[in-house]
Amino acid sequence: MLVGQPIPLSQRILLGATCILLLIGAYTIWSETLSYRKREEVAKKLPPLKSDLETIEAQLASTPDESDLVQAKQDLQDRISRVERDVLAAKDRRVPTWKTLYTDGLLRVTEGQGLKKNEYWLWEDSKATASRLISGMLAGVVLSLGLGILMGAYSPIEAFFLPTLSFLAKIPPTAMLVVFFILVGVGEDMYVTMIVFGMLPTLAIAVFQSAKKDVPESLIYKAYTLGGSDAELIWNVIFKQILPRMIDAIRLQLGPAMVLLVAAEWMVAGEGFGYRLRLFYQRTDMSVPYLYLMILGVAGLTMDYMLIFFRRYLCPWFGE
Amino acid sequence: MNEIVLECRDVGHWFGSNRVLNGINLQVAAGQIVALVGPSGCGKSTLLRAILGTHPPKQGDILANGRKVTRPNRDVGIVYQNYSLYDFLTARDNVAFGLMLDETSLLTRCLKPFEYRKLRGVHREKAIAYLEKVGLAKAAHLFPAEMSGGMRQRVAIAQALIMEPQILLLDEPFGALDEATREELQMMLLRLYQENREAKQAGVKPPYTILIVTHELNEAIYVSDRVLGLSQYHEGGEQGATIVYDKAAPVFNPGDARNFEEFERQKNELRNAVFDPEQNQHHAEYVAFWKNLK
Repeated sequence: MLVGQPIPLSQRILLGATCILLLIGAYTIWSETLSYRKREEVAKKLPPLKSDLETIEAQLASTPDESDLVQAKQDLQDRISRVERDVLAAKDRRVPTWKTLYTDGLLRVTEGQGLKKNEYWLWEDSKATASRLISGMLAGVVLSLGLGILMGAYSPIEAFFLPTLSFLAKIPPTAMLVVFFILVGVGEDMYVTMIVFGMLPTLAIAVFQSAKKDVPESLIYKAYTLGGSDAELIWNVIFKQILPRMIDAIRLQLGPAMVLLVAAEWMVAGEGFGYRLRLFYQRTDMSVPYLYLMILGVAGLTMDYMLIFFRRYLCPWFGE
Repeated sequence: MNEIVLECRDVGHWFGSNRVLNGINLQVAAGQIVALVGPSGCGKSTLLRAILGTHPPKQGDILANGRKVTRPNRDVGIVYQNYSLYDFLTARDNVAFGLMLDETSLLTRCLKPFEYRKLRGVHREKAIAYLEKVGLAKAAHLFPAEMSGGMRQRVAIAQALIMEPQILLLDEPFGALDEATREELQMMLLRLYQENREAKQAGVKPPYTILIVTHELNEAIYVSDRVLGLSQYHEGGEQGATIVYDKAAPVFNPGDARNFEEFERQKNELRNAVFDPEQNQHHAEYVAFWKNLK
């Protein structure tokens, strides 16, 4: 096989599906093995209890009306049945089996839980996290686009902002979290501010570089000869030309924004995905976290594809 | 009908200690198609940028339509060799782009959307008319990425002409194209010149004044009615390039065969006057366009 040689679509699908199935299979084997071991551990308690029962039954056979013995037998039988129930219910909470993920994960977050009867965890968490993400990203995108395009259009603005922005872009946003907690508090405003300032330096610089590099100056001069004003140049030429690359840059910022949001929720939130993950981490109960991780992955993919679709719709002229 | 649409008065330009242009005096009348030729590096692009207004000359003045050129504006149109069209607009919208930019502003388009939609319909019709003029009415809905180089240059020319500028600058517009396409486009320019002649006969100001920069001497003589030579090979050449040749060129009808004998004569003249580094003689006899006209 030559390097770079393509393969047909059917083979691609087959190989991709195989990887997914292998992953699922490996996890199933691992989780079932651990649960099995847990059950065995609990089941070890049974033989001594059972032998005690046999001893007492033997004694009862000779003295059937001894009330202490009868009581002891009853107690033992209760204990044995409790242990047998424990064996059945034994599960490894760190690596839950698929069945556990369903009963302790999915069912728990979709049925009414918590102090209030109508508090559905999945709904509450999704609403909280999604609203923070969307408001933060909207504000962040608008501000970054505005700043980036102005920087690309006017050199004085570029010279003013670029050094500071480059420096700020290098500070890891998770390290900056403490600044937001102190200055803005721990309410909803904090999340929006945090996402905006986490995205702004990187995205504004990406927009600015695209405005400089992807708009040939001949097109700018030509727009002036066609009677364009400065504002029209910025909107009708620069913005329209860089739009598809901007959508791609936004797609790239989705990941870091989610990282920042989950980290902040982990630390200070009262609801949301990050909060719930920390809660169950402290209980060492992984059913809900694994489920939430799967949901986050699917949501991320969905948002990514929505942006790609949006780009194809708005910019049919831009090749893949 | 000798209205002067472009005038260069003693134009000079330099970059640091490198003198590029010196003492350029030039007048272009309405309806002329002027070819500008010269050896590589003589400063044709610099002169073009000065006329366009993007890099005004450090010395002297350039007047378009009697007004001094300080920045790119409607009076001077441009067609570049590359990157000539807006990728995000179809051919029709590219041609109509200038009308939208010139006749409306961003604010009016936002605040009066319905009025604008009607106006946009008018612009689009006019754009299709100009596309027909350059022979591309069928390609109106294609994006530049879907068009060949020749088609793109035609659309770019229509895009500039629809604004009816005082003068249209073509910066080596056919350089990246193959021979057959180049010939088609040269024919298109000849058709435009024919419209100029009809206008002159009717006593109206001719609509197309064009300055075309080209490397090809054959093209220069065929397409234009006046050839300018810019060269640094003259006495005082260290001070910068200047106009060393300015004479009329024969006018052809679209579809006429090219008269290669006539071409040879003028080409030899041009090689002597413009391109020969050894020939530093005084060039007054070659700069004779207006003299010959009288």
